[in-house]
Amino acid sequence: MTRRSTVSALFSALLAVAVCACGSGGGSSTKAAALGAKQDSKPTTGGTIEYGHYQEPPCLVTTWVQTGYLTRQYLEQLITVDEKGEFLPWLAESWDISDDKQTYTFHLKPNVKFTNGEPFNSEAVKVNFDNWFSTDPTRRNGYVAFHVEDHIDKIETPDDLTVVFKLKHPHHPFLSALSQYAFGFLAPSVVKAGPEEWCVRPVGTGPFIVEKWNRGTNVVLKRNPNYNSAPGDVENKGPAYVDGINWKFLKDNTARWGSLKSGQSDVIYDIPGVNWAEANERYEVLRHITGGRPSQLALATDHAPFDDVKVRKAFQYASDRRKAVETVFQGAVPYNGNGALSASSPEHLKDLEDYYKYDPAKANQLLDEAGWTEKDADGIRSKNGKKLTVRIVYGAGSIISSDGSEFLQIVQDQAKQVGFDVQLKPITTADFFAGKGRQPGEFEIQPGYWVARSAEIFQVVWKPDAKADDGTVLPNANNTSRLQTDQVGIWQLVRQADQEYDDAKRTALYEQVQRKLVEEQAVTVGAYPLTVSLALSERITGIKLNASIGEPIFNDAYFVKGK
Amino acid sequence: MTAITLQPRAARASRTGAFLRSVPPGVKLAALVVALYVLAAVAPGVLQPHDPFSTDLDSSLLAPSLQHPFGTDQSGRDLFSRVVEGARQSLAIGIGATALSFVIALVLGIAAGLGPRLVDGGVNRFLEVLFAFPTLFLALLFVAVFGQTVTTQIVAVAIGTAPGYARIIRGQFLQVKGSTYVEAARAVGHPYPRIVAQHIFPNAMRPLVVMFTLGVGQAIVWASGLAFLGLGVAPPSPEWGALLDAGRNYTTSAWWLEVMPGLAIVLFALSVTVVGRHIQERLEGKVKVQAL
Amino acid sequence: MAATVLKRLAGAVLVLWATATFTFVVQLFMPGDRATMIINTQAGNLQNPSPEEIATLNERYGFDDSYLTQYLHYLGDLARGDLGVSYNQHQPVTEIIAAQIGPTIVLTVSALILAWVISLIITVLATGRDNVWSRAATGFQIVTAALPPYWIGTILLVLLAVQTGIFPVEGDTSVIGLILPALTLAIPLSGFLGQVTQDEFERVLEQPFVTSSRTRGMGDLGVRLRHVLRHAVLPAVTLSGWALGALFSGAVLIEAVFSRPGIGGILVQATSGRDIPLVTGVMLASAVMYIVANLLVDVAYRYVDPRLRTA
Repeated sequence: MTRRSTVSALFSALLAVAVCACGSGGGSSTKAAALGAKQDSKPTTGGTIEYGHYQEPPCLVTTWVQTGYLTRQYLEQLITVDEKGEFLPWLAESWDISDDKQTYTFHLKPNVKFTNGEPFNSEAVKVNFDNWFSTDPTRRNGYVAFHVEDHIDKIETPDDLTVVFKLKHPHHPFLSALSQYAFGFLAPSVVKAGPEEWCVRPVGTGPFIVEKWNRGTNVVLKRNPNYNSAPGDVENKGPAYVDGINWKFLKDNTARWGSLKSGQSDVIYDIPGVNWAEANERYEVLRHITGGRPSQLALATDHAPFDDVKVRKAFQYASDRRKAVETVFQGAVPYNGNGALSASSPEHLKDLEDYYKYDPAKANQLLDEAGWTEKDADGIRSKNGKKLTVRIVYGAGSIISSDGSEFLQIVQDQAKQVGFDVQLKPITTADFFAGKGRQPGEFEIQPGYWVARSAEIFQVVWKPDAKADDGTVLPNANNTSRLQTDQVGIWQLVRQADQEYDDAKRTALYEQVQRKLVEEQAVTVGAYPLTVSLALSERITGIKLNASIGEPIFNDAYFVKGK
Repeated sequence: MTAITLQPRAARASRTGAFLRSVPPGVKLAALVVALYVLAAVAPGVLQPHDPFSTDLDSSLLAPSLQHPFGTDQSGRDLFSRVVEGARQSLAIGIGATALSFVIALVLGIAAGLGPRLVDGGVNRFLEVLFAFPTLFLALLFVAVFGQTVTTQIVAVAIGTAPGYARIIRGQFLQVKGSTYVEAARAVGHPYPRIVAQHIFPNAMRPLVVMFTLGVGQAIVWASGLAFLGLGVAPPSPEWGALLDAGRNYTTSAWWLEVMPGLAIVLFALSVTVVGRHIQERLEGKVKVQAL
Repeated sequence: MAATVLKRLAGAVLVLWATATFTFVVQLFMPGDRATMIINTQAGNLQNPSPEEIATLNERYGFDDSYLTQYLHYLGDLARGDLGVSYNQHQPVTEIIAAQIGPTIVLTVSALILAWVISLIITVLATGRDNVWSRAATGFQIVTAALPPYWIGTILLVLLAVQTGIFPVEGDTSVIGLILPALTLAIPLSGFLGQVTQDEFERVLEQPFVTSSRTRGMGDLGVRLRHVLRHAVLPAVTLSGWALGALFSGAVLIEAVFSRPGIGGILVQATSGRDIPLVTGVMLASAVMYIVANLLVDVAYRYVDPRLRTA
């Protein structure tokens, strides 16, 4: 992108004012023409993609999904996955699973080098895993640990290009976990140097190299000219077509959208709901519904009032969440009524989507049955003099966007109509991650998502509390509903499913888990899935979203000639 | 003051009339606006056409109309009713922060203005240090350390604005202390505490009334600035800054969500300033007469 | 002269030490366990850290030391220009600030200059005249002083950048990208500076030497520019040091509105992330800027005020 000179900018601005009623007319025909031009075009090389992203991570390698979109550009994993759920080679050329399903052997691609010249080999894989399981909290990778630490017995490196994972027991989701963004490898010397190094100068084997991070502004990514480790889900097996990516952080929705409209960006991430219709009219739009646990409201079962399943069900019936999602997100994000699993996860049960349809009469009846019969002047119910108050504690701006907060306010108002006194307690990012307001007993409702490809997320978010040797309870903070699933026969099903290698049997077990969570326990109130959306200008094409968690892939991206 | 109470009723009425005539129409209008805001804060229901918290998914994002003078928001709530409802919290934050700020400033200012020279020097140095921090930075430091709550917001704004007031108060006390009438009272042999109570304190405090009025407007602007940065009060509170923060995402499609609450803040700050300046002019006039 | 400069510098160092001490004391009041917070922020998840994990961090950041030890360490590091390491970014605070302070200085200084230009034009043309212009100028000043800068900034951004494309949407560091943010910051300040200058201007207009210049046949504008202005700007010059501090506050908001790089974005991120070393680092940096600005103002004052120059 060249910067226009001041004079010409002012001149064109005057023209723009003269012509401007701004936008609307002729959008779709322009879009059709642009899409046609894109399909006819052949890959060209060169150019820097101006990419407008939303959140800026505090460090260039963290386990937060918002960093995963970025790490995809420079760090690579053993394997990847496509839309059909097929695992594809990446840094591993192939792999074998032993008959007892307890030994996974990966054969690495030869001649792959990190962009600082270090070789990628089995030792590098081991160094990274050791680092992720480190007891030093600034090194430890919580995401990786939650997914595989319980299952791995040891990691062996019989030769340079072979890595062997010995598992303690069969664990079917192992491959699915490895295909996720948090398993990207850093160069061993960078691992050794620690977070001070990898936070700003991460070195991987990926198609792009981090040249510079201008805090608050952008990350400058340059093409890796020696790239030879393309994953199975891209067509271009060599270095990227474009010279680089200017990965800009435009937190403000108006600025991000305006940047695309004014041509300052070629691609933007997270199309604002209010601009969704216009985006689809004018631009090529990519969308990925992220799997795993959708944004849902977990009801705390360990104390009143949600220790009573009738009250939980009443809360489910109390709000028209489908309409709330449609109104707030205006189509940019779909409704996900099955709170147990995102609609894009392969095991997702569709018939649970509308299991709790908006039904205030039913909600009232259930609350009456549960004994919450007294009502005050505002219509708030109480039982034995205790008000039906529920607190929603949520990470504002991090886990729950401004649109999400609007959604919660609608739920709050509708639940009030049947007698719930719902209080919203937004918590800042740091306080939220530090656990403020999230200790057991401090909340009745906690909204949250947890990205994953599929039902493997169950063993993370529904794991019962552990007991230390001295008998003290170590709460599993990820289990926000506080439901001790081993006492209601759910945890046993999860363990059974995770060790089941027969696809039909395993899926049936996971479906059983969903039914129990939604129909029987009613502990998770469905809302909407985490959704990745990109809008592409007519200048650029070939971008795709990864099937696992929707990171943008730029290996095949190129500028359309003459645009 | 005593002179007025001795006036006969009729004379008093004509005085009121004269007073009203002497107020320019612009100031009268501003005073009326301020009164409306106070009414909104005290009894919002009187001015609200709708329930400010009641959502209606079928009237999401409606443009301003007769039925919804400020339009509706995403969840279909009436924005005008929300702005009216927000007056209570915004004014409470503004007045609370300014009051707290004044308490801090008075302690520092009086200690410096009336105390021994050593205290004056110490306080002065301390103020110099606080002055080195921009108002909003000081406020953000407090939010960072103590977390994000309404109380922190009030305290943060108070701490941020207090050094400025303290310096003015100190100057005010020094000026009054050195004025001719205080010296005259001293010469007559009045004891110092009595001079402080009867002369210095009332004369030094008088301009502070104006400062307070102007300060509330400024405090609301600062507090809404914190809310604008996402560090304000919790939804669904329609505090003005929170409304601005929420409206920011809609500026291209539903402009009223950003423009209307902003205008509400501007109109309030403007009216308060106009009224405050007018009072100031009157007071200054009186002080001048007194000095003659 | 050298003695005055030395005295001033010593005063500046004293203020700096006091600001450092102040920020140190305030951050001690932070509730909660710091090590747990850092661990969970790093992990991006709520977990209950093991005693070993907590011990590792307590040792690394010296949280277990006595406050006095911590304070002395802090001052010692400060003397070497070391502001510590950010909890969230794992980078030396000095480096983070150094990389970001440039755009903020450019923005605030240009806003200050712009505010001066606007207020001077209004003052020279309007003060002491009872016409439409002077009333409009007073009105302008009252209204602009009441405008929340971030609000007017958002509206300018949408009207002049997003909808019409006259200015770039993203706050880049080019000159044209600077215009809107600087203007947004300058407008309220110009109202304030203008008011102060105007009051003084009116006072000076009544001075005998002005009348004598007029009787010598000088034109009205000439008198205003050559004689009155020089005296009238003095109070506003004194205030410019303070104004720069105020502009820093405004810049935090304006940078957010215009997606500009700068120290404001860092401060907001650090505040919501409770990244204490970074917050205190930014505070100190702004204090240094304030002190430097006021030293400069002193110099400017000597230059503008003829009495001080001859003395």
